[in-house]
Amino acid sequence: MKEERPLLIVEDSDEDFEVTCWALRQAGFDRPIVRCVRAEEALLRLCPVPPNQESGSMMPCLVLLDLNLPGMNGLQLLEELRSVEQPPTIPVVILSTSKNPRDLAACYRLGAAGYLCKPLSLELYASKMLKLIQYWFDAVTLPEE
Amino acid sequence: MPENQTEATPPAITASNVDISNCDREQIHLVNAIQPHGALLVLEEPSLHIVQASANIGSFLGLPAESLLGHTIDALLGKANTDKLRTILAEHDLTNILDRLMTLPKLPHLDQWFNVFGNRTDGFLVLEFERASPSSQEQERVGLYQFRDFIQRLQRTPSLAVFLDVAIEQIRHFTGFDRVMAYRFDLDGSGEVVAEAKAPDLEAYLGLHYPASDIPAPARRLFALSPLRHLPNVDYEPVPILSYASGLPQPVDLSHSFLRSVSVMYTGYLRNMGVKSTMVLPLLKNGHLWGLISCMNHSAPLYLHYEQRVPVELLTQMLSLMMGDREDLDQYAYSTSLDIVLGKLVSLMGREEGFHQALTADKTNLLTTLDADGVALIADGKLSTLGNTPSESHISLLADWLGQQEAAVFASHRMLDDFPATRDFLDTASGVLSVRLSRAGSDRIIWFRPEVLHDVHWAGDPNKPVEISTIDNEIRLQPRTSFALWKETVHGQSRPWLDCEIDYVTRLRRAIFDVIVERAKLLARTNAELERSNQELDSFAYAASHDLKEPLRGIHNFAEFLKGEEGINLSERGLKRIETILRLSGRMDNMLESLLQYSRVGRNALDLQAQSINKIVEQVAELILQVMPDRNITIDSQPFLPVIHCDRVRVTMVFHNLIMNAIKYNDKDHKIIKIGCDPSTDPVVFFVRDNGIGIAPNNHEQIFQLFRRLHGRDDFGGGAGAGLTIVKKAIQRHGGHIWLESTLGSGSTFFFTLSSEHIAESERL
Repeated sequence: MKEERPLLIVEDSDEDFEVTCWALRQAGFDRPIVRCVRAEEALLRLCPVPPNQESGSMMPCLVLLDLNLPGMNGLQLLEELRSVEQPPTIPVVILSTSKNPRDLAACYRLGAAGYLCKPLSLELYASKMLKLIQYWFDAVTLPEE
Repeated sequence: MPENQTEATPPAITASNVDISNCDREQIHLVNAIQPHGALLVLEEPSLHIVQASANIGSFLGLPAESLLGHTIDALLGKANTDKLRTILAEHDLTNILDRLMTLPKLPHLDQWFNVFGNRTDGFLVLEFERASPSSQEQERVGLYQFRDFIQRLQRTPSLAVFLDVAIEQIRHFTGFDRVMAYRFDLDGSGEVVAEAKAPDLEAYLGLHYPASDIPAPARRLFALSPLRHLPNVDYEPVPILSYASGLPQPVDLSHSFLRSVSVMYTGYLRNMGVKSTMVLPLLKNGHLWGLISCMNHSAPLYLHYEQRVPVELLTQMLSLMMGDREDLDQYAYSTSLDIVLGKLVSLMGREEGFHQALTADKTNLLTTLDADGVALIADGKLSTLGNTPSESHISLLADWLGQQEAAVFASHRMLDDFPATRDFLDTASGVLSVRLSRAGSDRIIWFRPEVLHDVHWAGDPNKPVEISTIDNEIRLQPRTSFALWKETVHGQSRPWLDCEIDYVTRLRRAIFDVIVERAKLLARTNAELERSNQELDSFAYAASHDLKEPLRGIHNFAEFLKGEEGINLSERGLKRIETILRLSGRMDNMLESLLQYSRVGRNALDLQAQSINKIVEQVAELILQVMPDRNITIDSQPFLPVIHCDRVRVTMVFHNLIMNAIKYNDKDHKIIKIGCDPSTDPVVFFVRDNGIGIAPNNHEQIFQLFRRLHGRDDFGGGAGAGLTIVKKAIQRHGGHIWLESTLGSGSTFFFTLSSEHIAESERL
């Protein structure tokens, strides 16, 4: 059986990562989950140097990106991904606390595939995650690697 | 005129060709003749060869001109005196001044002492010889003690007028002239006799005005140059200056000569007045010719020796020095009071918002102390007047004309001459003093003085200052022969503006400029600070939303985990505590969200578009009713609300928050909200009225404060307590106001305006 491509979560906070994983599992998500704590790390993983060289690990099928990160932040990562020679085909969905319209606009302008505001309640978060994975993994077709 | 003839330089005007048309330009310093009370030699340096000599040298010094011209001065003085002279010459500069060099002891061939004077001019040395006083007692005629008493008397005088009276009486006493006058020049060169001491039988000249042509410009220049001019005998025969055969073709400049022959115009004029001898000394104030001390003898020629002249010359120089002070002193008290007024006005400008309030207040204003009957202040597109001023339209006519004048400070006491259109309002504006406040010249202050009809007593008809007579079939200019009193009533003039008044308004203008600049700086600084603090608030709000919310969510999430995973193992109390953590972190999340919203209302430019308020209210009402389908709510809006230029997002926020509050703080079963406006006012007043619980009057201010709550945290559906703060901020950004009327128990009405024309350019998108 072909190994399933993982979901990449770019998140520096252990607690938030745990909560997101919990919400995903609640929603029935069963693919592997990989994590980068820094945007720089995620950039290397998504755009290996030199290109087209297998980095040993599989390309993720979808990226969940936090905006507020140490060093390079989420917006800058989006910008980087767009400016490389061969931009990755993997959709990036933003996970953020901010409802700031400016942040929203900036993310979509930079090619984000979605923007999910993290709610306070776990229940609500789990239900949003369910809709998210239903959309990406049932409703639409993701590009091949 | 033949083609090849070009315009020639006009010939110099000297005594030989002066006439009616050119007497103002007669070059009386190039006269090339002297008066007979002395002798003159022109020498080359350093050889001291004599190149010119006055024709009277033989009779005066005992050696004929022929035996001197071409020789050195030794021939006249002998070796010992010549050596002494050379030593003295080496020590004296003598340019632009005639100095006494030595007293020549009795020459071998003459029983007479001489005073020798020298002046270097045109590269030559001019030596003048006058007989020394025969009596050595002459020198003591004005002793030191007399001098001291005189100065003391002058110092005690209460005013300039008395000062001059005392001075000329004293000079008459010292000199023996039968008339001594103090004569003051006006700016136009005409003059007035301001003090007179005379022999009792002489006709008084005091108070008479003389037209400018009586003492023409060249004469005024010479008077200012020389400390004393003396014409001992009006009917003198001029003594020509003879040149050595190969000597000077040009007459030497005798500007500094004491013996120089005077203008025929002057002697003719004096003869007409019946004057036989004169002596004139300049009165200088701060180096400028202020007037003259004029001594006249009517009975006979009068010659004053050098020894007699020196004390008078000294006295007059002393007068010049003291007079400057004296005239200043007259203005000093006035000027000091003006200083105090200036200080008060400056401090008023610092306190008051606008110049109009600061400068035209009741207590101290632009008319305080200053001797003017009215004042107009034109600033910030507004006119304020105090006292007697011309009508508004006349002021604006005058202001337009003043705007075209070069000078920033304008003063005139004869506006009829300067701006004939003032003829219609001379009663208030014959005199005008004005300072420009803006570069364009539209903002200014204008002070007014009324017309003063005053009589001027002219010495003869000022419009015919000269008469023409025919002598030897030649039309000649004769200074006028009639000195009969000529009265003229002067129209369109006010009292002239004093130097200290002009100085005061100049300093006031500078002070106003300083205030304007200071205000602009302050405003720029405040704006910069405001912008910086807004940016700080912006990043603070961002931090609040993002950075504070993250750990808060963590607390909430993990409390939920605990409750979910361990809930069954927990005691009822423990479970309650977890619920409390969840509730409080939930409230804090709400507050952070409100804070974020509030900061967003203030940030970013307004996107001003024509918006139908009806449409906005409709959408808001629909949204609210959707989320509260089970409540009995009526939102009743007027059908014709106006279309207004505004930012749609923010105005939507205003209606949303006001309507939500109207529902929230409402204990009635049927909640009725009415929305409307009063279109008759400008700007339009909108209102949102409810039948809710009402707000006590003492809380009308507090409700607009951030996170200020009037009710328990969880009463009326909780809420962060930022709704009205956000509303107020959005309205203020639209240049509007919000206020309310309320009756406890029966409802509240919130009123507000939106006037987008008052929104600053920087606030717009």
